[in-house]
Amino acid sequence: MKPFDIVIVGGGGAGLYAAMEAMKTNPALNIAVLSKVYPNRSHTSAAQGGANAALGNKAKDDTIEMHIFDTIKGSDYLADQDAVEVLCSEAPKIIRELENIGTPWSRLDDNTIAQRPFGGAGRPRCCYCADKTGHTILQTLYEQCLRKGVLFFNEYFALNLSVNGSRSRGLIAMNMKTGKVEAFPAKTVIFATGGYAKMYWNRSSNAAGNSGDGQAIAFRAGIPMKDMEFVQFHPTGLRKSGLLVTEGARGEGGYLINKDGERFMARYAKEKMELGPRDLVSRSIETEILEGRGFNSPAGKYIHLDLRHLGADLIKSRLPQIREMSLNFEGVDPIEEPIPVRPTAHYSMGGIDTDNFGRTVMDGVYAAGECACVSVHGANRLGGNSLLDILVFGRIVGHTAAEEAGKFSPATISEAELKESVDELRNRMQPSGHYERYGALREELGQTLALNVGIFRESSLLHKGIQDIAELKERFKKVRVFDSSDVFNTNLMQVLELQNMLELAETVAVGALAREESRGSHTRIDFPVRDDEKWHKHTLATLVDGKVLPGEKPVTMGRYELQERTY
Amino acid sequence: MTETIDQHQEGKRDVTFRVFRFNPQVDSKPYFDDYTISAERGITVLRSLNYIKEHVDATLSFRAFCQAGICGSCGMRVNGISKLACTSQVWEELDKCREPGIIKVEPLRSLPMIKDLIVDMDPLVDKMKHYSNWIDSTMPLAEMGKKEFLVSEEEFHRYDKATDCILCASCVSECSILRANKEYVSPAVLLKSYRMNVDSRDSIHDVRLAELVKDHGVWDCTHCYRCQESCVKSIPIMEAIHAIREDALECRGPKDTSGAKHAEAFMEDIEKKGKLVEATLPIRTNGMVWTLRNLLPMAVKMIVKRRTPPPPPLVKSAKGIKIFRVMFREMTEHVKQDHQKTHKK
Ligand SMILES: Cc1cc2nc3c(=O)[nH]c(=O)nc-3n(C[C@H](O)[C@H](O)[C@H](O)COP(=O)(O)OP(=O)(O)OC[C@H]3O[C@@H](n4cnc5c(N)ncnc54)[C@H](O)[C@@H]3O)c2cc1C
Ligand code: SF4
Ligand code: SF4
Ligand code: FES
Repeated sequence: MKPFDIVIVGGGGAGLYAAMEAMKTNPALNIAVLSKVYPNRSHTSAAQGGANAALGNKAKDDTIEMHIFDTIKGSDYLADQDAVEVLCSEAPKIIRELENIGTPWSRLDDNTIAQRPFGGAGRPRCCYCADKTGHTILQTLYEQCLRKGVLFFNEYFALNLSVNGSRSRGLIAMNMKTGKVEAFPAKTVIFATGGYAKMYWNRSSNAAGNSGDGQAIAFRAGIPMKDMEFVQFHPTGLRKSGLLVTEGARGEGGYLINKDGERFMARYAKEKMELGPRDLVSRSIETEILEGRGFNSPAGKYIHLDLRHLGADLIKSRLPQIREMSLNFEGVDPIEEPIPVRPTAHYSMGGIDTDNFGRTVMDGVYAAGECACVSVHGANRLGGNSLLDILVFGRIVGHTAAEEAGKFSPATISEAELKESVDELRNRMQPSGHYERYGALREELGQTLALNVGIFRESSLLHKGIQDIAELKERFKKVRVFDSSDVFNTNLMQVLELQNMLELAETVAVGALAREESRGSHTRIDFPVRDDEKWHKHTLATLVDGKVLPGEKPVTMGRYELQERTY
Repeated sequence: MTETIDQHQEGKRDVTFRVFRFNPQVDSKPYFDDYTISAERGITVLRSLNYIKEHVDATLSFRAFCQAGICGSCGMRVNGISKLACTSQVWEELDKCREPGIIKVEPLRSLPMIKDLIVDMDPLVDKMKHYSNWIDSTMPLAEMGKKEFLVSEEEFHRYDKATDCILCASCVSECSILRANKEYVSPAVLLKSYRMNVDSRDSIHDVRLAELVKDHGVWDCTHCYRCQESCVKSIPIMEAIHAIREDALECRGPKDTSGAKHAEAFMEDIEKKGKLVEATLPIRTNGMVWTLRNLLPMAVKMIVKRRTPPPPPLVKSAKGIKIFRVMFREMTEHVKQDHQKTHKK
């Protein structure tokens, strides 16, 4: 294959913005975007709420400064303040740019982009398009990439980086349609592969493919992961699938009820009740379940989200989507029965360690979007800041790689190296001695993570989690790929995703055990308070000789001093 | 052997999934495999397929990603109708089976087969490119990001529904013309083209339209409404198609296009003989009032290209055709007046 200047892995919001910007920066460059699903299927499409920017359309007195402060406070002071400044200062520009190229934002009466309030924000600054913001942003970017003739390799599954010392030579990927393993020699590689919260499997709101592939590939190549222990839980996921029941249900007045018929939020947030902040409600539900006041089912323990008192009319007019979800995925009509819910893993704050330009420690390797950790979200991401993150840093990384590609000599990937990857896959597909079912391993991984590395963490639980993951990794060596065909082998693809999830799961558990404090999404029962003296820092996890080597990195401070986070 | 998905809850039902299989590497032609599982209430077709893949036959191949009806990956035909597997309830499908207890699952039509339930989406992407399904902004590059276009709520509503499309290709699979002519533009692409054409921020309306009125374009549509009926997001695709036709006629003059000539003949038909497949279909789907209000004004402007399926017996009813004619004339008058008004402006 012809050597590339830039290979972008991932066709979500971050990857597509990077592609657009790189082409704009230097139209002469040879750029490719690889994606394991058609770009418009990427998980960015699932974001409903919106993207934050201090446009001041709705609240005239909103400022970038306020957005910066809200983000830093929301992060429990673990975000790097210079990075947050970039994020929030670029926000109005990037939202307008998206508007200029066709994103169908909802509108206010004065015909400007509509904005609404969102959790943790002092002003209504969340820009939205009805309840399909991520979907329309992704469509716009995909359309523009088609317009500009971006070269797409759709349904290509990235396998590994080709590394020479401290520099990458490009990427090795499998063409799903043919099963062929192909080399993508490239001066620069940008990872934009999205989050890893799907490792919690049925306890996650994420798409099936959010298995952290890019992170795992980078990790295997020796690039450090940052703050992996921070995983955000959303209070109301459906019991069976983990799919999200949005805040709207509680916003309209839904009750959370335990098996004794109690509105238990009275115990945890007397005033706000069901409308307390996400992490508090998640912890409350989890406590009810842990203390035996949840319902039991083979699909797991849960509590009830009861909407019945709102009446059929309101449910039909205001919450039609929640009703549809509940019917489609639980077979429950909320007009007649309560919805079975429990907290669900929703967003991964951690990821590939990058600087403010998306550079990693390895020459020629960059990352942006949910797969990267810059860090702008610190210990807790604010709603609406993630879409913003992928856009702003997607653009920055595209620009940076385009500028820097010239620094590197053209890369080649040898036949021998390619063959190594092919052999690795062949071995994996050998039937003899392989008998473990990937479905079972995946399920068990999700269970142990939810139980031991979930909302409440504690030393002995985490040790158990780490041990379970090690055992699962051992069993994975014997996993069976039943499908031996070359054409669209989804069985093989799922096995490879499982491998990536297993590798990253260890970093999540190890990071969680190391961090002996409670901050943002990370709650340690045995260390219930934030410990700035010891832990106001990022954790790193690097793979050295097959072992996770823990490390750390200081937090970049700025104008804002550490404060207690209260709302 | 019957496998069990989930033990709890009151009801469980045995279901056989009769799934289309084809692996081009080994099979000379497609065949069906039967998988019988026990499914509880609330289980979707996709969850059942996942279950079969994990526990019964890992070689069964299909696409799925979000599992929540958002990404458009899992379009397939369930009991003969193109839809999303992840939002289709097994118990509901059981009521629609041709053979009791057997749910048939097949790939989408009109797109090249790859393996089992997986079809090639590239032809659709190619068409999106061919018909410039993007905004070419009137904002100069140097000005990008500096200010917003002001867009009225009314304009937003013109394309709001159309932007719901998740490119699942269910409509593509159901389209009657596409099955005969793979080069036909496709309903989803018409919808997207419409969405771009009514956006005031766009600068290439004419380029797009010029392409849409060529062979395999908008005039080939038979007005069969199958796309709209099968749209998984309930998007009124036909409104988009009508709008493109109106737009084409207005821009190029009614006598100018071959499509318009057919439309003239078609109009005579409506009035004189009432032999009108394309008009009765929407009546059946949307009711008489809707049809008169929405379709006829457009037909009056000689938009609908005539196709030649035999006239349905329905319109032979003398009483029906009488009312039809009266209302039709009234509508014609209204539209003429409307037209004059708008053109004076
Ligand atoms: C239900 C839900 C609702 C949300 N709502 C909001 C919201 O309202 N506001 C907000 O700001 N954020 C929200 N988020 C978070 C936000 O949607 C995501 O963080 C963001 O979209 C991630 O974008 P991305 O571009 O980084 O990755 P993604 O959109 O996940 O894209 C990843 C891309 O990488 C590709 N890829 C992955 N692995 C490989 C591989 N091995 N080989 C090749 N390609 C690969 C995929 O094909 C895909 O194209 C929500 C998230 C969820 C789950
Ligand atoms: S109405 Fe037109 S586009 Fe829709 S299915 Fe029929 S022929 Fe196809
Ligand atoms: S128009 Fe409807 S059926 Fe057709 S691709 Fe879009 S969402 Fe799917
Ligand atoms: S899996 Fe995404 S729409 Fe069905």
